[in-house]
Amino acid sequence: MRSAAAAPHIVWAVLFIVVPLIIVVYYSFTDRSGAFTLDNIKGLGDYTQIFLLSVELALIATIVCFLVGYPLAYIIARQKPKMQKFYIMLLMLPMWTNLLIRTYSLMAIFDDGGFLNTLLGTQFHIIGTKGAVIFGMVYDFLPYMVLPIYTCISKIDPFMWEAASDLGCSPLSVIVKVIFPLSLSGIISGITMVFVPSISTFYISQKLGGGTFELIGDTIERQFASNALNTGAAISFAMMILILISIWIMNKFSDPEEGGIIV
Amino acid sequence: MARLIELKGITKEFDGEKVLNSIDLYIRDKEFITLLGPSGCGKTTTLRIIGGFEKQDAGELYFDGVEISDVPAYKRHVNTVFQKYALFPHLNVYENVAFALRLKKLPEKEISERVSEMLEMVDLVGFEAKNVTTLSGGQQQRVAIARALISKPRVLLLDEPLGALDLKLRKDMQNELKNIQQATGITFIYVTHDQEEALSMSDTIVVMAKGEIQQIGTPTDIYNEPKNAFVADFIGESNILDGVMICDKKVSFASHTFTCVDGGFGPNEPVDVVVRPEDVDVVPVKKGMLRGKVTSVTFKGVHWEIIVDIDGFKWMIQTTDYVAPEAEIGLYIEPDAIHIMKKSEFSGMFGDYSSFSDELDELSDADAVD
Ligand SMILES: Nc1ncnc2c1ncn2[C@@H]1O[C@H](COP(=O)(O)OP(=O)(O)OP(=O)(O)O)[C@@H](O)[C@H]1O
Ligand SMILES: [Mg+2]
Repeated sequence: MRSAAAAPHIVWAVLFIVVPLIIVVYYSFTDRSGAFTLDNIKGLGDYTQIFLLSVELALIATIVCFLVGYPLAYIIARQKPKMQKFYIMLLMLPMWTNLLIRTYSLMAIFDDGGFLNTLLGTQFHIIGTKGAVIFGMVYDFLPYMVLPIYTCISKIDPFMWEAASDLGCSPLSVIVKVIFPLSLSGIISGITMVFVPSISTFYISQKLGGGTFELIGDTIERQFASNALNTGAAISFAMMILILISIWIMNKFSDPEEGGIIV
Repeated sequence: MARLIELKGITKEFDGEKVLNSIDLYIRDKEFITLLGPSGCGKTTTLRIIGGFEKQDAGELYFDGVEISDVPAYKRHVNTVFQKYALFPHLNVYENVAFALRLKKLPEKEISERVSEMLEMVDLVGFEAKNVTTLSGGQQQRVAIARALISKPRVLLLDEPLGALDLKLRKDMQNELKNIQQATGITFIYVTHDQEEALSMSDTIVVMAKGEIQQIGTPTDIYNEPKNAFVADFIGESNILDGVMICDKKVSFASHTFTCVDGGFGPNEPVDVVVRPEDVDVVPVKKGMLRGKVTSVTFKGVHWEIIVDIDGFKWMIQTTDYVAPEAEIGLYIEPDAIHIMKKSEFSGMFGDYSSFSDELDELSDADAVD
């Protein structure tokens, strides 16, 4: 009975997760003629710089998202329930607009002759800098940081605040000593959910990077666009491994049973 | 004993509704004081004001002679045992108990000594490394007590700390809490709506209703000399009758004039009369001051609980001698078994025992626990 009930779920999983994975792995280890080769994997070394740059930007974006997102999530979670709903809706509102369109509008704002410079009468050169790409990532993915953290904090027993301050915690140490550790699982999800799309994005770096630098997502896109399926697949494969490793490390932290970092 | 905490005219409103109405109360150092009253009477609110989690709209709060209304909770020498324990789920038993000491950055050695001492006191030695979420309710409660007491607060606030425990465990914990209080000499402010718990544990009981203090006194005072019909009804069983004070030491109720020991009322002043069920003697009809018919008899172990109909008013009487249902009996009441109270807003609110049945009693008890 149980296996029968689970069947549709498995069908979906196979169709949309396992099959594509197999295709990626297949292309990674074959050449154009379909024969087995390790050349694609060996060739990955050429992309080390791009990999490192992508990791760097994604990491910075994730850290910024966390630094902005945690306080935001905390503040929202401490509002009255009605206000919480309102703020969460505000936060979600931009997500109803396509990511690509939002990125385009950022371009229009930050362009050399764009909205911002016109408004201020300045000549800031923003598009094409790392800062612009990071800003784009933060802007696009911030809700993915805030939502899981907010959900986690809002589920914390309200008496935790009182118990902590009762035992001598100042308002700040309540957060540091109790609320932060209790929202760890939300933080882990948030970091994962921002880091993964940031490291694999291509349109943000294309639009806001102004063509000055390339991220790994761009490389993959370019490979596929120029029909170099095998190289593209190999890079994707490497990315996947990278992401899996980061998720695995993250989960190490979030599992309460293994909670090594929690004192 | 010195007054450690003093509430003066404490008033609190929620959404325009007065929840506490000018509460005046002082709490002596090292005493076990209980706030007792029905659900919604403002016990928790009073406790939260003392703890610093809520601020009164009017009135003053003194601690050791100093006004502390503006002192935040974390700076008050008051710790709390929360009703739902509120243990930190990310910390094990040891770290939960050590929490307050770690904040003070005490040396590791002192922390571990004091934690061991606390765990010994609450009988949880060997549980140090356990995850608090895996503990039973009683064990969690002990951790909460140890956690609150380790920093040696002047006052411990306990909001229905035993409410979630089953009866047997509750009785054990009552004794344990009382022992801890006596051993540590810490002032306990205890909230409960269980009158038995209040009577057996407290040095002083504060009976509250409708956001006001109805009576403050020792358990015996409160039981023997209830100030009004509410207190009489809330604490223990009582037959509350309309009476008229004819003159000092003479009161008339149930169509009979009795000798009593109270005085100081106006001539022919209407009063409420309380007679406790255990203070009524069952005698042959001819020797009785009152006579009536037994309508129900329930065996209670130590005594029988009988309901007697006297001119339509159903009395509850506890007697060690069996009385047959439907029997005509006489009742005899000693002068000092009669307690006279001034009429109050609660007069007439508590009827006789005509609707009384054990089943209902249990139902309302179960309600009260929630
Ligand atoms: N934060 C609040 N907001 C609005 N009303 C409140 C709040 N806290 C308490 N009240 C109201 O104040 C009244 C007294 O509440 P309180 O919790 O002090 O009662 P209590 O005596 O502790 O009752 P119980 O035995 O049920 O715990 C209740 O009517 C309650 O609904
Ligand atoms: Mg309460």
